[in-house]
Amino acid sequence: MIRLSSSQRSGLVGAALLAVVLVAIGVLVTYFGSRYQIRLVYSAYVNLIVVLGLQVFMGNARITNLSHSAFMGVGAYAAALCVTPEKIKKISLPEAPWGLAEFSLDPVVAALIAIVVTALLALVLGLFIVRLTSTGATIVTLAVLVIVHAIFLYRTDIFKGNQAFFGIPQVFDLTSVIVIAILTVIACRMFRESRWGIQLRASADDEVGAAAMGVQIYRLRLIAWVLGAVILAVAGICYAYFLGTISARPFYFNHVFLTLAMLILGGMRTVTGAVLGTFLISFGLEGVRYLETGPVFLGIDLPEALGLSGIALGAVIVLTMALRPTGIMGNREIEDLFARQKS
Amino acid sequence: MEYIIQQVLNALSFGAEYALLALGLAIVFSIMGLVNFAHGEIIAVGGYTMVAFASLSIGNPFIVMGGAVLAAMLASLTLERVAFRPVRKADPTTGLLTAFGVSIVLQNLFLLFVSPRPIAVTSLYFLDWPIEIAGIRLASLQVFEALTTIIVIVALMLFLRRTVLGLAVRAASLDFEMVRLTGIRANRVFAMAFLISGLLAGLACIFIMARRGSVDPHLGFEPVLKAFVACVVGGFGSLPGAVLGGFLLGAVEVAMLVMLPQSLGGMTDAFVFMIVAMILIWRPDGILSPAVEKGDKL
Repeated sequence: MIRLSSSQRSGLVGAALLAVVLVAIGVLVTYFGSRYQIRLVYSAYVNLIVVLGLQVFMGNARITNLSHSAFMGVGAYAAALCVTPEKIKKISLPEAPWGLAEFSLDPVVAALIAIVVTALLALVLGLFIVRLTSTGATIVTLAVLVIVHAIFLYRTDIFKGNQAFFGIPQVFDLTSVIVIAILTVIACRMFRESRWGIQLRASADDEVGAAAMGVQIYRLRLIAWVLGAVILAVAGICYAYFLGTISARPFYFNHVFLTLAMLILGGMRTVTGAVLGTFLISFGLEGVRYLETGPVFLGIDLPEALGLSGIALGAVIVLTMALRPTGIMGNREIEDLFARQKS
Repeated sequence: MEYIIQQVLNALSFGAEYALLALGLAIVFSIMGLVNFAHGEIIAVGGYTMVAFASLSIGNPFIVMGGAVLAAMLASLTLERVAFRPVRKADPTTGLLTAFGVSIVLQNLFLLFVSPRPIAVTSLYFLDWPIEIAGIRLASLQVFEALTTIIVIVALMLFLRRTVLGLAVRAASLDFEMVRLTGIRANRVFAMAFLISGLLAGLACIFIMARRGSVDPHLGFEPVLKAFVACVVGGFGSLPGAVLGGFLLGAVEVAMLVMLPQSLGGMTDAFVFMIVAMILIWRPDGILSPAVEKGDKL
């Protein structure tokens, strides 16, 4: 029996509480939701996994990462390349090099390969990203995003660029993504409360002090970075295994903005914040999208307003930073809210 | 031989543009530690001002250029007042994310109120004509750009070294509280930094517009991304570092364009960034990074 520290025990309680919320939303939409709403909630869960993957590195090391959508894309494409049947690949990727069109694997093996590929890529990039100071690291992650996107667009023989990469078998449904999201929540919470997580958060608060206490900052950042990339790869796989088609476009700036706003609104320091922010923005944005199409509202015919959702996202980021820089949750996890009420 | 000189001149003119942009980022960063992601949108403001002049059928190039620069300076000042003042004392991450949000809002405002499509601006084409000196072919625009950058660097140096406000700006980048104790108004120093940043963005805007001939909401994104990389390579917050980083990036980019085979043409940027990454492994804080105190500076 492993003995857990008190913060790890409360971490498990918090993760369990979040799991209840995640299951409840899933049950509600399965029984009462339309097909469209189920799709919407599925993509909210995929974004939740992305935001959690972002939180592992950004929340604990407090270095802004802008390349997360690229890692999600790498995971999605790697899984898609492995799992798509040869017959479809022969049609869609006739010029694929290295015999990529000659094989197909079962979904589990394909997912494992995708995770390993993404983790290796993250490890190589992470080796120098973790050594940079906060600002430099952010700019380099931005460069990573641009490079990966350029490769997706340039190697049309493998990735099909902005065209659809189709024929991925539909493996997942809403239930499977909820299970994965809950497992991810538990993993993120346990990392946050683990020895590594605590040391990493300490180094974010006081780099010199933590180093003086014997914290190996670069190594811990690298661990968080690779763990984050693994979670992002899982998110990419969930995306590909449900939709059946992927293209390069969803793994670029718009998605980076969206998920970053989610994490910032909820509060990047906590797992609860990541969950809260994801659902607030996912559902709030649906309302804004409705306004964007120019509906008739209270008898007034509103004009079509493309870009409204972008303005809303940007405003969320700016206002959160100005009014409450640590996000809605600040340093509190979900179980802290209940503890306070009791006392 | 002529080919080599030609490419060296190309590298210098690329570098001049990056240096101009990187300086605009570095001067703000050196004072308040803010990574101004919205710099590209300031450039776009200049571009849209040119569109406005064109639709008013004002064709005088000096009015168009002056107006664009003025608009960029005003936009920069406004952003300082509205968005960046609340986060002035916050940590760098907060400032960076604020600037990121501001940039998204501005891009989408252009999209919403102007157009998501590129709009042609032809009033600056006259700046660009081919010239030939001793068998070396150049575009006049490259010469103007290099000259402007040199003048800007000299003027900025004179301003920072010879005037009281310039001295305050330099001092503020070292110890801001001390500057305030000597009786200089904080707001004025910040406003000055953003004004200079806007001026540099406006100048860069003229050259970008003269080359591209059209403006869209993402006009500033790509050049500013390069300028960021130049800043990181040179050492974020160091003005000489920004210039050095800009010229280095220009040189690497031209070298890649010359040496890479045609079939890899789409990958130039990827290779450029890879070389930049290698420089950063060698010096993680950039080449001319100012000494950073990580200790208990209260």
